[in-house]
Amino acid sequence: MTPPRPPTRAGATPLRLRVLVLSLLTVAALYFLLPVYWLAVSATKSSGDLFGTFGLWFADPRPLERLGDLLRFDNHVFLRWSLNSLLYAGGGALAATLLSAAAGYALAKFPFPGRETVFNVVLAGVLLPHTVLALPLYLLFSEIGLVNTYWAVLLPSVVSPFGVYLCRIYATAAVPDSLLEAARIDGAGEARIFRTLGLRMMAPALVTVFLFQFVHIWNSFFLPLVMLSDSDLYPIQLGLTTWQGYADRQPELYQYTVGGAFLSVLPLMLLIGALQRYWRAGLTEGSVKN
Amino acid sequence: MSTGAGPGTRAEAGAGRGVGRRAVLGAAAAAGATLAAGCGGGDDGGGEGPRVRKKGEKITLTFWAWVPGIEKPVAMWNERHPEVRVKVEKVSPVDGAQYAKMHAAVKAGNPPDLGQIEYMTVPSFLLGNGLADLTEHGAAEVKDRFTGWQWAQSVFGKSVFAIPQASGPMGLFYREDLFGRWGLEPPATWEEYEETARRVRAEGAYIETFAPTNGYRFAGYAWQAGARWFRAEGDEWTVTVDDAPTRKVVDLWERLVREKLVRTDPDRQNAWYKNLQTGRIAAWLGAGWGDALIVGNAPKTKGAWRVAPLPQWREGDNAHANWGGSTTAVFAKCRYPKDATDFAVWLNSDPRALQALIEGGAGWPAATRGWKPADTEKNRAFFGGQHYSDVFARADRAVDTRWQWGPLMDTFQQRFGDAFTDAVTDRNMSFRKALAQVQRETVTDLKDKGLKVKAG
Amino acid sequence: MAPPNARGPRRTGRTGHTGHADYTGRTGLTRRTGLTHRTGLTHRTGLTHRTGRARHTRSAAGFLLPFGALFLLTFVAPIAYALYESLLKPTRSGPLGLGGTGTAFAGLDNYAHALDDGLFLTGFGRVLLFAVVQIPLMLLLATALALLLDSASARWVGFFRTAYFLPYGVPGVIASILWGFLYVPGISPLVELARGVGADVDFLSQSTVLWSIANIVTWQFTGYNMLVLIAQLKSVPGELYEAARIDGASAWQTARHIKLALIRPALVLTTVFSIIGTIQLFAEPMVLKPLAPAIDSGYTPNLHAYHQAFKSNNQHAAAAEAVLIALVACVLSFGFLRLVGSQRERDR
Repeated sequence: MTPPRPPTRAGATPLRLRVLVLSLLTVAALYFLLPVYWLAVSATKSSGDLFGTFGLWFADPRPLERLGDLLRFDNHVFLRWSLNSLLYAGGGALAATLLSAAAGYALAKFPFPGRETVFNVVLAGVLLPHTVLALPLYLLFSEIGLVNTYWAVLLPSVVSPFGVYLCRIYATAAVPDSLLEAARIDGAGEARIFRTLGLRMMAPALVTVFLFQFVHIWNSFFLPLVMLSDSDLYPIQLGLTTWQGYADRQPELYQYTVGGAFLSVLPLMLLIGALQRYWRAGLTEGSVKN
Repeated sequence: MSTGAGPGTRAEAGAGRGVGRRAVLGAAAAAGATLAAGCGGGDDGGGEGPRVRKKGEKITLTFWAWVPGIEKPVAMWNERHPEVRVKVEKVSPVDGAQYAKMHAAVKAGNPPDLGQIEYMTVPSFLLGNGLADLTEHGAAEVKDRFTGWQWAQSVFGKSVFAIPQASGPMGLFYREDLFGRWGLEPPATWEEYEETARRVRAEGAYIETFAPTNGYRFAGYAWQAGARWFRAEGDEWTVTVDDAPTRKVVDLWERLVREKLVRTDPDRQNAWYKNLQTGRIAAWLGAGWGDALIVGNAPKTKGAWRVAPLPQWREGDNAHANWGGSTTAVFAKCRYPKDATDFAVWLNSDPRALQALIEGGAGWPAATRGWKPADTEKNRAFFGGQHYSDVFARADRAVDTRWQWGPLMDTFQQRFGDAFTDAVTDRNMSFRKALAQVQRETVTDLKDKGLKVKAG
Repeated sequence: MAPPNARGPRRTGRTGHTGHADYTGRTGLTRRTGLTHRTGLTHRTGLTHRTGRARHTRSAAGFLLPFGALFLLTFVAPIAYALYESLLKPTRSGPLGLGGTGTAFAGLDNYAHALDDGLFLTGFGRVLLFAVVQIPLMLLLATALALLLDSASARWVGFFRTAYFLPYGVPGVIASILWGFLYVPGISPLVELARGVGADVDFLSQSTVLWSIANIVTWQFTGYNMLVLIAQLKSVPGELYEAARIDGASAWQTARHIKLALIRPALVLTTVFSIIGTIQLFAEPMVLKPLAPAIDSGYTPNLHAYHQAFKSNNQHAAAAEAVLIALVACVLSFGFLRLVGSQRERDR
């Protein structure tokens, strides 16, 4: 072992410390991954084995057959739900990101009377219990004929008060007024400045907003439950709970529910994995430069 | 009535004046139509009210249901009735979510045309004037096609509000192999049941679980004992949850729970399935639809199960009860109630439809003809070749037809669950006390809803 | 206004985010010193100032409009509707009440009723207890993980970060179903393992189920909070660490004195969001309810309101309860913000 020396470069820390940090991180990873592991194992089991065998080990694993059954069940309805989920989460998060960016940018960069009031009202939006607001929202949407359509889920999904909050904070810090002023003097319109300057500079925050909103919509259960009645419009999670509800009478649905849960977690893993690089690039650049 | 826009809908949103539009529906829905008078005014002219389909006119009816395999009979109907297409929309039945949706849709004025509604929930939809009276659409003529007590479940006053689909006559599922090994017979009376419970416990297993949150199964016990929790008399609801037969039932279960002869975790949940598989639970007071449940979740116990009739309160009696079961109802907003009624009747009485329903797992058909009990024995081998449908057929014939559900069973189920959860976990809260509390709260709940209530 | 030549580099240095440095160069804005100079002059005239203000307001309105309109539709309108509904009560007519429904003004009856409902109030007490215990624990864990990942001694940072964040991608309902399997005695491998070492644990009993729910929430949201904290850590200018390092500060000292101080705003943020989330606790108890008889229909205030609205079909009472829940969430989060604010004052 090398004697401890003043760390001059990242990575040149004492081995002991590295081992300690690594083991702490590993213990934490075990905690967070254990249930995911359980899910992966259980996705290969039949309903009977789900209840009857040790949860953390395989019993008669036939993953392809089981997942195949699940995908084929009820005319491939699971695929349809997956596409719906993608549409809701992908489309909703994209729109939410753009709207939040515009609103956050406006709140950060344009001093106008009542700005703080607007901001506080938006923040208060975060406080409202969504479960109970779902009913009045449902009644309102019924009035304008939106219930049981894709819009019923998409429209509320594109409103992200938290996104606005994040964008405002970020724009205040990362988009310098002087730069905007200079662009204005160059004769650029506000919309163009926002598009070319604002959005670009806010990019890391926008990825965050997109990611969080995507997950938020992907996970949302109550809104689609209330708004949708046609199972062709269901997102995955709602579909899965429907299966769970039938499982009383059709026990193989337990196995499909667990398998479906496993499959529905996969896209999130991919998304988080794919954006990981972007995150790292976005977040570490500054320290490298210095 | 107006769907979507229109003055009626606006009046609804501006709640205060919502009475007027409902008056018309009220007239149709109320047991005595005349009493609905006096809240007229502000009607929307009825441009969108129920109508008769013109010959050759093609319509589509939406049907919210969740019973597995419902698509099959519906497809058969659509094949034969191109003019009246039925579109199934499957709704999630988790924890009553389907009714939450239906209630919300009724309130918003855009419910589906037809819905699958369980017996105990039918009255709650009447409160919101959600259901159409099917009497005038030909329902009265088909009464004979259905089992009497199931038909009676959706009759209020002289009006029929739903076509019965299936039920769950109760029976005792038990592990014949274990009972045999321990020298036990299925108990014929509740007294014997208690003794059997003691013997089963002595062998290290349990005979049953008393799940405080399963109010509907408990209702079955009370029903069998002769209780009548709700009665609609005159213009008043009478609530007698805390009556003598029910007390008899709670006393029995209190003894079983306090002596730890039964478990108290929920049935039909993960732990229960596990206990079924291992034989830690050796019997189940279940219903006619329960066979698939055991077959699917404890496949390795094949051949070990049998079904016996419910134990009786008096030796030699033949009192039975029901747990679960659904109807097909037509919502009041439906514009073609006659066609919807025709479909509902066909779905629940046509022999081919019945076979498809049985196959899908709808339960014990309410129709008296067009099927035979043996059709429901999909799993005879699992029950050691026993003709177990005979047990349920006998039970079905002996169900007390006087039983009626109250108008707020979902709330009741919660009240029951909350009170008996306390009772099970806290020795100071006796079962009788819990029962009295449920009675009190139910009366208050009904009053809070603006109903006339009498405590019986 | 900042001197034109100082603009580019300073910005990059301060925010430490990607994409800015090359941007200025590409547009070549800094090179147009002459133009910037002229604005400096116009600014003094006052006239432009006022029109600039109006222009700002107009532009801001344009940017805010899409979000604002939808916010009005999906947030403001429903809460206004809920407020209105909360002041009404149902009336019925006809035999058995089946004759017709209407509504009448009820004043604050629904609120009084809610505040008189023992079950509803107990639910509030329960989530407060939950908040006091679970939030600090979760944030402590999140902070520890963020600092560990941010430390120079960490390896495979990407893997660990993804692993911790992953549960956030598991929907609440699914997470609860999943943990349900891990809690239920007889099935749970955890109970089985614990029994193996002689411990008899019951995750779903009257006394433990609240903390089992806390575990689900911690499992789901620690990674999320950790990410927020990491984002804040990364926005700390690198030269600050460099300076600390040159001063001979150890990793531990850097973490304690510099990093912790700098992530304070993020901690405040995550605390507030956690408080809000806790007050609204819903999906976990709802899914576990069938498994754990100890969870009653008023286990959390939100569950109670849900039952009122969707099970008992009692919108007016539910609306009043929703308003009360939002109020409590408001009071608690703003109360916390004030507490933090006054403490900061004292620190100065």
